[in-house]
Amino acid sequence: MDSATELEQIEKLAKEAESLKIRLEDERQKLNDVTLASVADRLEPINCMNVKPRRILKGHQAKVLCSDWSPDKRHIVSSSQDGKMIIWDAFTTNKEHAVTMPTTWVMACAYAPSGALVACGGLDNKVTVYPLSLEDDVSARKKTVGTHTSYMSCCAFPNSDQQILTGSGDSTCALWDVESGQLLQNFHGHSGDVMSIDLAPSETGNTFVSGSCDKMVLIWDMRSGQCVQSFEGHRSDVNSVRFHPSGDAVATGSDDATCRLFDLRADKEVAVYAKESIIFGANAVDLSISGRLLFAGHNDYTVNAWDTLKCQRVALLYGHENRVSCLRVSPDGTALSTGSWDATLRVWA
Amino acid sequence: MEATTTHQHKEKEPRVHRPCAFDKMEGLVREMQDPENGVPVRSQKQFLTSIPSAFMGECHRYLRCPLNLNDQKNSVGWLRVAGYDLVEWLIDRLAIEESVEAVHIANQLCQYGYFFPVNDSKTLTVKDDSSLYRFQTPYYWPWQHRTPDNVEYAIYLAKRTLRNKQRHALEDYEVEALNSLRKNLQNKWDIIQLQAEEQIRLSKERKKGDKIVSDSQERAFWRVYRPPPGCLSSLEVVPVPTRARPGLPRPPPRKRTLADLQREVELLKNSLTRTRIKVSTAIENLKSYFETYMEYDPMIVQPQPSNPWITDDQTFWQLNSPLVEVPTEKRVKRWALSMEELMSDPTGLQEFTNYLRKEYSHENIRFWMAVKDLRRSFQAQIPVKVNEIFEEFLAAGAPCEINIDGKTMEKVHQEMRNPTRFTFDSAAEHVYTLLLKKDCYPRFIRSEHYRNLLAAGVQPLQKKRFFGFGGQAKKKISTTTAPIPGSLQQQHAGIGGGGGGRRRGSDRSLSGSAHELAICGVRDVAATPRVPHSHSQSNLTDIPYRGDLARLVKISSRPSPRRTQDAGVPEPATRPMDDVCPWDAAPGPSSELASSESFEPPGQPCNPARISRKNSSQLDSCSSSSDLSAAIMEASDCLRKSCALQNTMSRNYSANSSAKIRLGDTSRPPSCKYSSPQQSFDLSLSVAEKPEPVETVLEESSVSKVREATPEETLPKEITPQESVPKEIAPKELRLAMAPLISISAIVGDLAEDQPDTEDIQVILEEEPESENVDVPKGDEKEPEELEEQNVIEEKDDKIKEKESKEEQVNTGNEDSAEEAQVVPVWEPDNQEESDAATATPQEQRDNNVNEVCPWEDEENCRVDAPYVKTYATLGYL
Repeated sequence: MDSATELEQIEKLAKEAESLKIRLEDERQKLNDVTLASVADRLEPINCMNVKPRRILKGHQAKVLCSDWSPDKRHIVSSSQDGKMIIWDAFTTNKEHAVTMPTTWVMACAYAPSGALVACGGLDNKVTVYPLSLEDDVSARKKTVGTHTSYMSCCAFPNSDQQILTGSGDSTCALWDVESGQLLQNFHGHSGDVMSIDLAPSETGNTFVSGSCDKMVLIWDMRSGQCVQSFEGHRSDVNSVRFHPSGDAVATGSDDATCRLFDLRADKEVAVYAKESIIFGANAVDLSISGRLLFAGHNDYTVNAWDTLKCQRVALLYGHENRVSCLRVSPDGTALSTGSWDATLRVWA
Repeated sequence: MEATTTHQHKEKEPRVHRPCAFDKMEGLVREMQDPENGVPVRSQKQFLTSIPSAFMGECHRYLRCPLNLNDQKNSVGWLRVAGYDLVEWLIDRLAIEESVEAVHIANQLCQYGYFFPVNDSKTLTVKDDSSLYRFQTPYYWPWQHRTPDNVEYAIYLAKRTLRNKQRHALEDYEVEALNSLRKNLQNKWDIIQLQAEEQIRLSKERKKGDKIVSDSQERAFWRVYRPPPGCLSSLEVVPVPTRARPGLPRPPPRKRTLADLQREVELLKNSLTRTRIKVSTAIENLKSYFETYMEYDPMIVQPQPSNPWITDDQTFWQLNSPLVEVPTEKRVKRWALSMEELMSDPTGLQEFTNYLRKEYSHENIRFWMAVKDLRRSFQAQIPVKVNEIFEEFLAAGAPCEINIDGKTMEKVHQEMRNPTRFTFDSAAEHVYTLLLKKDCYPRFIRSEHYRNLLAAGVQPLQKKRFFGFGGQAKKKISTTTAPIPGSLQQQHAGIGGGGGGRRRGSDRSLSGSAHELAICGVRDVAATPRVPHSHSQSNLTDIPYRGDLARLVKISSRPSPRRTQDAGVPEPATRPMDDVCPWDAAPGPSSELASSESFEPPGQPCNPARISRKNSSQLDSCSSSSDLSAAIMEASDCLRKSCALQNTMSRNYSANSSAKIRLGDTSRPPSCKYSSPQQSFDLSLSVAEKPEPVETVLEESSVSKVREATPEETLPKEITPQESVPKEIAPKELRLAMAPLISISAIVGDLAEDQPDTEDIQVILEEEPESENVDVPKGDEKEPEELEEQNVIEEKDDKIKEKESKEEQVNTGNEDSAEEAQVVPVWEPDNQEESDAATATPQEQRDNNVNEVCPWEDEENCRVDAPYVKTYATLGYL
């Protein structure tokens, strides 16, 4: 009997959710007075995009799956399919550390704000931190912080070395205490694999965004663990999410080959970056310091650069010989790093 | 219920879950094969049979019996297309601009096996030439149903071993694969062998042409699914159990529990009541954010001195490391953008703390930092840290007791019963918004401390500048004297040649990019100065700014006589302005402050209070007169409104929206303060004296920012006649207020423009306002102009009444001169003629000029601003 009433309740709630969604969409449309492109019409176009490959980092023996910039603006951590994690001095292209993880497909890695710690994980379902020191073997001091029930797809340090936020194929996100490995907060709400997370840029901000294979983009309150806002629009898996530097919008990249911009305060999608000639999914997106440029790494080996305000593509970057799996603008915006299944990383500027 | 819905859901989805790209590619390839609109098919003489070029359309879906394929395959298989036809078709179909992209897409399709080279079974690439490609039969398209297994592969390989060795010999890697398969599939090998023989028997019954086609297609299929070692497999995916994988149905969606749904409904309900802003507002925010930060975005504006990744020179990083002794000027300016900017920069935070410590009020920021630290501490340290913070900041009689209201205190006490990392959040919020953000931060930005930082700020380009500067400064002095007459001439010339100037302006606005315009302008200026250098220094005051010139150009149509009249107007009033003078104000810090304000997006909910503060601060810095600041504060509200108007106007006028808009905003505010344009002159005069300096400061900053941000844009703006019109219309008072500001900006701009010239001297200026050194040659001309403008400004105050007429005149003069300077080097005669008139009415003209001068013109100069401005000012006074 219990299960029957529960089913009824579920049905009722599902119906309510549907009707609420419709009302919500109505509300949103009321304030949908202009399109981005029309407002940006008068803006000076970006005419000379002169981004070129400046460094090639070779050393991985297999697909590069994830990378992150060090806060010092020149080091990069990258992880690959064969379980290797490498710390690069991207400026000199030297490898400073190489760590072999006891797993393959290390799909996530991240630098801590201090630059003295990196975290990574993947098919092992775990997030492991490695303190970086030049003296002893990095892997000697590794520490497993948290464990999901499925692969770990993304991780990030929220303005502190003491905590780490992870997203997982088990469709949850989690906030961990690095020292004790304690689960500080759990984030339930996605119904598909969480593919990407990003923290709000404000130091005082306590929110982050997540993108998932359920095509949803959710904004979370880290303190309460509640989802506070949701965005629909993508027609396929959301592979990548990044906050606009203003913190008022979120850029996303999806398997449906589009990138989109969702504004938090307007509570809706404000731009779609799509082109008929872009057929393949976007695996990674990031924005320049001013938010004007959006870079998207695609499965067809290319990186598309978009003018976010005019909704025009301003450059198409060739170079990689396989899918572009990760992409990050450096902390000071001077460069763009891309990682690819062709086992290389490239730095563009 | 849930089960049924999920079931329905499943039915709607394609049997195989796969990335969207496959649907798109299949659609595209089907279109390619359309007999009408598809890729043109090259006729094939090689085949004996005649080729039906119709596309088969439906593919047969069957799994294990390639034998049945025979009949249907032909038509598709026969289609062969040339590489360049493929590429061309893609360019048309997908509206691609560059063939590189089309070739790239064709290669991708080839990698996925939708077509393959006819004469090359080893590499899957498409060349943009006459090489031929054959379409794969839809049966063999990738990721259709299930991935082929090893048994199928073994049959295929075994089949080839049974056939003509010459044509069907296995590659090395295939031999290896066959051997290992034979080992692994030993128990099935008889069946495999039988299957292979059967297929060969059947294929023998087919026509030769058919056979060739189907053989190549089968081979291409296995080339995609079993690529040779070292080659990419386009079909490889992340080995994640829950994501799409070839040949597997979509994993069942996770069951939604009651809790899930409750959460969702809760969220939706909350969303319904959320306050939203209009999309237009949201977009405006994004836009203004860009405009504010574009100068800090190395992908938009080249960082100074250089991008380390491009030049291998790490100076940029050294100058901008987290903690530095002396931050760059740009960095200090950034602190004024928002408190968040200040607090997120370690050096900024340090300076802020130092400042507060000097004021004995740093307990607030220390408390806020402590709470921030607490929020992210290790779990184990939380209780201890909570207590420490409480003891230090909140307990009665605490050493650094912070001042919070009773309600917040009560909340803290409640939270203290169960200490968490969020215990002090409410108190911290209180401290942050009420004390730090609304009190300490604005005071800091206004403070001497901040201004000193700004003034001391490193300017990465300064090395060059300094070298050039010393030389240039000398040159400037000399030049200033000489150029004065020239500047006058320019103004006058403007009268005569105003029409021409307009044309040019319009042409520019119509044509080409901002870059070009900017460049042209700079070059012109540079070129023009050389010609007129012979003038005496005595008339420094008379020398119009470049900016003025530009402004003048706009109004060129008006008669010159008015100018003379204006000149007659009493000049003494102008002096007060000098006191307040922008130059005195130290363009560096004050301007920066102003700029920050101006940059705030109009759409954003910036507090009027904030603006007022900034204004006041600027005022203080400039003239230190409190009256001014107060006036400014009052005006701030009005400013917004006015800004909006200006924005619209400016936008219309110039293609370069951002820079113009900003300028407009800054300049307009003053006008608003003074109420309607029709107000009496007396009012305007009195007001003008005080407010003008302030305004000027603001304008300067805004101008400078604009310039920095988009140096290139500035020139075009000057040229546009439209801008001048709105200004004319605007109340005289406004003009007055604006005039000083404008002049400053113009000066700056002139300097900047000049600098480039000096460096290269005759060399064409680069688009970017690289060097400030340039001042020498071009600077001469400009400098005098600036001086003149200053004088004019002074005069302006007095002559406010006459301004309108004068402005018109001046504008005309300016326009002419500007135009001439930029485009036509021939203006000399005109100048001379008009010089007399100019001398008579220089002040008035200046006023007008000031009003009309577009900050954008001088954008490049901004960087140069502070020091140069000062020097000029002094010169002018001398």
